[in-house]
Order: sequence, then structure tokens, then C-alpha cells
Amino acid sequence: MLSSQVIKGCLAGKILRVNLSTDSVCTEDSHPHAARTLGGRGINSLIMLDEIDPHTRWSDPENLLCFGVGSLVGTMVPGACRVDVSSMSVFTGGKGSANVGGFWGKELKYAGYDNVIIQGRSPKPVYIYIEDDRVEIRDAGFIWGQTTFATEEILRRELGDDFIRIALIGPAGENQVRGSAVMVDTARAAGGSGVGCVMGSKNLKAIVVRGHGNIKVADPERFMREVDRCYRQCAEEPHAPIMRKSLTNFYTDPDFEGWDKIMVVRNGQDDYWERKKRIKLMNWETGVPSLRKGMRACYVCPTGCQSYMEIDRGAYAGTKGEGFWVNTIMGNACRMDQDDPETVVYSWILTNELGLDADYVGSVLAWVFELYEKGIITDKDTDGLSLTWGNGSAFIEMIKRLAYRKGLGDLLADGAVEAAQQIDKGSEYYLCHMKGQPSVEPFRVPKGWGLAVCTSPVAGRHLRGSTLGGNRFGPRPRPADFNATDYKRQAYYTVWQAKTKELEDNLGICNYCGTWSGANFMTLTNFAEFVNAGMGIEVTENNLMEHFAAVGRNLEKAFNTLHTEMTRKEDLPPLRFREQPVKSGPYKGALADESMYNQMLDEFYQLWGWDVKTGFQTRACLEGLGLHEIAEKLSKQGKLIESK
Amino acid sequence: MKIQWAKEKCYACGTCQLICSYHHTGSFWPDCASIKVLRNPQNASIKWKLDSTCDQCDGEPEALCAKYCVYSALIVAADQPSEIKETTDA
Repeated sequence: MLSSQVIKGCLAGKILRVNLSTDSVCTEDSHPHAARTLGGRGINSLIMLDEIDPHTRWSDPENLLCFGVGSLVGTMVPGACRVDVSSMSVFTGGKGSANVGGFWGKELKYAGYDNVIIQGRSPKPVYIYIEDDRVEIRDAGFIWGQTTFATEEILRRELGDDFIRIALIGPAGENQVRGSAVMVDTARAAGGSGVGCVMGSKNLKAIVVRGHGNIKVADPERFMREVDRCYRQCAEEPHAPIMRKSLTNFYTDPDFEGWDKIMVVRNGQDDYWERKKRIKLMNWETGVPSLRKGMRACYVCPTGCQSYMEIDRGAYAGTKGEGFWVNTIMGNACRMDQDDPETVVYSWILTNELGLDADYVGSVLAWVFELYEKGIITDKDTDGLSLTWGNGSAFIEMIKRLAYRKGLGDLLADGAVEAAQQIDKGSEYYLCHMKGQPSVEPFRVPKGWGLAVCTSPVAGRHLRGSTLGGNRFGPRPRPADFNATDYKRQAYYTVWQAKTKELEDNLGICNYCGTWSGANFMTLTNFAEFVNAGMGIEVTENNLMEHFAAVGRNLEKAFNTLHTEMTRKEDLPPLRFREQPVKSGPYKGALADESMYNQMLDEFYQLWGWDVKTGFQTRACLEGLGLHEIAEKLSKQGKLIESK
Repeated sequence: MKIQWAKEKCYACGTCQLICSYHHTGSFWPDCASIKVLRNPQNASIKWKLDSTCDQCDGEPEALCAKYCVYSALIVAADQPSEIKETTDA
């Protein structure tokens, strides 16, 4: 059996457990968990399923906050830097998970740990200091209330070590704003599921790590041969230099297909953003590219997609920071109808500085801007702030109010669905969320993208299988035989992409190096060889996809089923996108057709081996993966389908 | 052989430090590398340091730090003596 193989390399070897209620620390062997899941998020999921009672709420001390570094992180595998942060989602009550790159994960591995599991709640603000075997829970009174940027500076000065790496929360997380992120290296966000809010609820400001140790692989020569193969593939991949130079074609081409396929405009009123606004935002003379002063990379990453920005003019002059992504355009520009480059860049950096999840910001603020436009909320609700499309200063002010819970921001901070219930007047119809998680994603034009967002175990985010047509899919040669805007064969490709993402998150490989649209120069063949040569176990590509990837997904699916009332009907797009067609542009008239989405869901569940009628897992599926104990848990709740 | 760092090309990914440690130890152990890379994400400045333990990749067919730098930020000048230096763009 695959999961009984003994792992001989790549792992640091220990799981660190910190109990903030009892002020205690202990470790356990990570190998048995990694043998079942390959590592990373898989280990977090196993522990959460095993230890969190279904009656637990996200805000209870019994909820766990789990950091899981991918099993290949710390080695020379290109782009192996990723960390999973899992907890109960503050939005769905089910499995929460966010993923982040940077340099924190490798530092934890060199310190000797694959995962850190935070239990309990501290009575006062604390931070955790980890330096190899030395693990201390320290007072954080001197940094509580500080922004993420200031906290980094203060901790570096206080600890006197430039090489420490820090995962932390900002004022938003401290204030338990639902959409708060755990920030790493100041500009990288583990944003989804409100993991920063959970960290704040535990009175945990930061986890500081310094590691002096090493990572060994089972067969170094074989391992390095595969590294060399990946470097050759990277050198031959035409998208790699494009990513390295400017991340995406959004920087260079106002007619790039992505503008029309994945941009949702004015909170979902349209899926077409006017060309003149694209040009104003992204032109090289006065647009976002003119504010970009350099490019940077995450740890051992040959893709190098991170912009470093400096605003050198206008109201926000003097602002500096890393990061400007496709989601910046999706959430802070098109969705807010905001075409001013300085405002969009500043809003993004401010979001990082306050420790907010940018998708949450873009989603809930676009929603209240539309409510204001429709007269559902008025100046009385906004304390005189005019929430009109394109009003940059109002956008910036609302971000601050959200993080510091002021006025309307306080209402939104407790969750958008909850806010809609209080505002009432039909406001929830205009709120784009999946299972409570606010979303900036498109559903009407790109069908495979929409299907993956609908079915994501962490709800409402696109990285669990979204596809954008055959010409941007998978390993070369392309194209695969499907179009982004058709319903045909989307489920097949979405499941393939979701499975490779499971592997990437458990191995810790960035999907911009891995198999997703981007530089995506790596293949399943590479993954299997790294597992074999690095971890010293023998797997095939088929083993990875049909066993390990399926285990990962089924663990999260089971957690959701056990902890929530989610069923098949929650896997449909928000009602608005099923009823209101795109108003303009090349995809005018496009809709998230309910019957067609249902057909995609039928095929999707079948491909995973789940019950088509309910969306629940089957005994045959779970026992085939060796997840007998999970099947029993589901069976006891009456949420397991006995016959396939 | 002299390793030269072209700061304007560096993305601060740390790959040179990691492969250097592999040369010295046969494992991935950045603390044991001859190269140290440090980056300040708030102003994007990078410090790149080569210390006296650099053996110009003795026994390797080429300098590994330059081989694995996809950003062409490390250049090997074969006919020049090695130079120990600390450089920063800040």
C-alpha cells in the first residue's frame, strides 16, 4: 500500500504543537502523516479531521490554526516555497485553507518542522519565537496594534537578526475582521477563509522563525538530475520570460483575452470593462507599469513574478511595497470600476499593511458601492462617504474603516452575509459569495473557471481547479480540446487541475511553476520523480493523481460535510449570475446557465467518485483511498452514501 | 575565477545560496553556504555576500551559483582571481 512506504528524505521530520491556553509546546513525528498525504496541507487536513469536534466554532479555542510547509520546500525544486495555512473557515464553518509563498516556509523546515499546529487561546497578545529546538511563547504587547509593515520592522530591530522570517497579522486580524490574512514577508498573503481572523482570535500576533539546519534528500544525484531537467524545461517555456518581466499580459495588451474572460465589473453588473479604462490603468507611461520599480522572486523560484512598486506622484506618493497581481485588477480595479493607477496600487499595499484579504476587500466593498448606487444604503449609513464608482478616496477610506471596524466597516467586518441580513432590502442578492465566503470570481463567461470556484472546498476562490481554455491548460503541446466559454468537457479538465493543485500544495510547489496557467513548466513526471528521488518512496504519476491528490481533496470534502450543512445546491453559482446576463462586450448575453452548470456538476461528482444526487462522498470512494475512519465518521452523521 | 553579482538583475530568490550549500554539504543547508542573500521586502533592497569559504566550486564542472541563476545576475569571469565581497544595492 502506498501510504505504508517509509519516507527517507525531504521532510524536516517533526510537527510542532503550541498550546496557547496552557503555554506549552511539544513535538511529534511528521512521517506517518506525510506517508498518507505527502505533506503540507494534507497533514493539516488530517489533523483537523481527527481533532476538531463538529460542534466547534471557528472562534473557539478548540479550533486549530495549522501551518503546513510543503514536503519539497527547502530543496532545489523550482518554486518549492509554499505554505498552507488551514483552520476552520470563518465564513463557511467548514475547512478553511490559504496558501502563501515567500521565505517563511523554508525557514521553518530548516528549523526542523514541517507543520506548526496552534491550539488554544492566549489570555493576552503573544508571539511565538522558533529557533531550531528553542520555541518560546513571548509577550506581544509591544507590537499589538501595529501594522504588518511596522511589526516586521520592530521585531527585526528587537531580535537583532536580519535573517528571521515572520508570519503575522495586522490590525484587521487583531480586530477579528472576518476577511483577515496571515501575512508573510510583508507582501505575501495567506488570504482565504479568514485565517488571519482566527489567528487574532487566539491573541497570536506573529510566528517568528529562524532555522539553522538542513534538508536531506534520499538520492541527491537522481534528485539533482530532475532539478536540471526542470531548469531546461523552464528555459524552453516561452511564458517564463514573460512572467519574469511583467507577470501577465494584462501589463502589455489592452485586448488580452483575460480582460474579457475573468473580469467582473461593478460588482457583477457586467463582465466587460471598457477599453479606455484598461489603457488608463495599465499603460506604460502613466499606468501601473510606470510605478513598478523592479521584480522579485519567492524562494528558489525561476518564474519571478512579484512586482515591487513605488508611488512617486499624487496623493499617495512615497508608498512602497511588493505585489501587484491579477487579483489586484480583478478586485481593486474592475470590480470597483477604479482605473486610477495610484489608487489601485495604494489600495493593494494598504490592504497588505492592515493585514486584510484583498479578495474580501474587493468583494464586500464593491457590494456596498452597488448598494449605495441603488439607494439601498445612503449617506446616513456611510457617515457621509459618497460610495460612487471610481471614487478612490472613498475606496481607501472604506478599507481603513473595515480594518479598524469603524462605521459601516464594523458591520462588514462581522461577515458579509451577516451584514446583508442586517441591511436587508434585498441586498443579499447583490452580494457575491460562495457558502458565505465573499468572492471576486467570474461565473458567466469562463465555465471551467466558474465550476472550480463553485466546487472549491474552501469556497469562492479560483485556485482549486480553475481553467481558462485549452490554449492555457497543462503541459505542452497545447491546446487541449476545450474552450474557456463552453460547458463541454470542463469538468474533466477542472478535476485534472484540481488534482494537480492538491499535489502542488502538499509538495509546496507554486502553481506558477507547476501545472497551472502561468510559466507552468513542470509536469506530473517531474512531481513523481521528485517524490521518488527526494522522499525515497516509489510512486507513479497515476499514483499521485488517483491516490494522493484524491486523498487530499476527500479529506477537505469530508471536513466540510461533517462540519456544515453543505450539499449539492450550494455548489451552484450565486443566483445573480444565473439570472442576469453579461451586458456588453464580446460575451454580451453570457449567463451561468443553471441547467448547464448542473450538467457540469454531474460529471464533476462522477469523476471524483461522489454521489451525483447529493454531492456526498461514497463508501467505495473513501475506502478505496484507505480513508476508512473518515467513512465511519460520515456514516455516523448519516452523510455517507453506501452504494456508489 | 571571479563571481560577479549584477545587482540590477537579481530577483533575490536565494537559489545561489542554496545550491552553494549543496556543493559544500551534499544537502540543502543555506547556513553553510559561502553566499548569503538578504532582501528587504519593504524597499526591495538586496544584500549579497560572498565569504572566504568559496572554493570556486572545486570539483564541479562549473560555478553552480551562476549555473542555476536564471536571472543572469551572477557572472563568472574565468581569468580573474576570486574576490570576497559584500555588496548591497541599498
